[in-house]
Amino acid sequence: MEPAAADGDARRAEEPAPPLVSLRPLGLDDTDDFMAWASDDRVMRYLKRPLCANREQAVAQIRDTVLGHPWFRAVCVDGGHPVGQVSVWPYADDGGRRANIGYALAHDHWGRGIVAAAIKMVVGRVFDELPGLERLEAVTDVENVRSQRVLEKAGFHNEGILRSYIAGRAGGKAKDAVIYSFLSSDRA
Amino acid sequence: MEQSSQETPRAVEVTLRPFELSDVDAMMVWASDPQVAAVCSWDAYESTEPLLAFIRDAVLPHPWYRAICLAGEDRPVGAVLMMPTGDLCRAEIGYHLARAHWGKGVATAAVKRTVAALFDEMEGLERVEALVDVANPASQRVLEKAGFTREAVLRKYCAIKGVVKDMVMFSFINTDPLVE
Repeated sequence: MEPAAADGDARRAEEPAPPLVSLRPLGLDDTDDFMAWASDDRVMRYLKRPLCANREQAVAQIRDTVLGHPWFRAVCVDGGHPVGQVSVWPYADDGGRRANIGYALAHDHWGRGIVAAAIKMVVGRVFDELPGLERLEAVTDVENVRSQRVLEKAGFHNEGILRSYIAGRAGGKAKDAVIYSFLSSDRA
Repeated sequence: MEQSSQETPRAVEVTLRPFELSDVDAMMVWASDPQVAAVCSWDAYESTEPLLAFIRDAVLPHPWYRAICLAGEDRPVGAVLMMPTGDLCRAEIGYHLARAHWGKGVATAAVKRTVAALFDEMEGLERVEALVDVANPASQRVLEKAGFTREAVLRKYCAIKGVVKDMVMFSFINTDPLVE
């Protein structure tokens, strides 16, 4: 494994090797791990998925929105249990050419480069696994700087700011968004 | 209605109204024009029967599809429509115009009217957006003159007639001043 790349942060130079990230399908057996992030508003606040308040809701969400999903993966670290999720959802009206990428990571694991690593892995394989896919896009709230950094690290292109694009929560005002893309032709 | 003042020599007045089946012949003027169809997902119509079916099955039941008429005239010269997105706060618009009326400010006038009407009629609407091919500067100018903001070029965003396009995203949000 490559040594950790210098990223300008002096603290990181002393840290142990970056976590080894792997992706695998997520199933009902993973419900308890899924709850760790799916019930946490700090994690889920920028996603459209409803928060899971209890185990029954988590089971229902996995059953209804994960098991039949075109491309959904659990994010695991150092061979352990799932600590997050990443998913690619082709838009209905575009013949599978264009898809949206979304992700969530349990709060305890933030700041370790896990999501950036997971997204790089997604980008490395999803264009082969979803034939016809040409454009992967991600839409982040302008306030979600963490997520923007992750996408930039993974090589996504910032295409611009879309005003009042994201529906406000609980009837609040719509939020501005940054739209990113990664094309199949962007792969090195 | 008051006479409009003379300080904007090219000001164009249009009205928007729902389509009727009897508009098929007027619609055929632009629907059969390959130059209009070139930028759309559909092929130019060659006869009125399928167009009549389109009006009946797609236009009449549509949530918001309007005929563009020049002021004082009842015969449509184009169409403007609103396409719902997954969110109530956001709607997309599209428009086409018979070629004889290009370059006269008709589309711009229709888009201005559309934006005002949509914000008035659609509760919770905060953003009207439009996507235009990067290679279609005339349509981009329509939106700019109607007060839209150019936000982004979305690379390889969609395929029109099998050709992948980069599209420019424009928006008009509910706090933008309506353009007279």
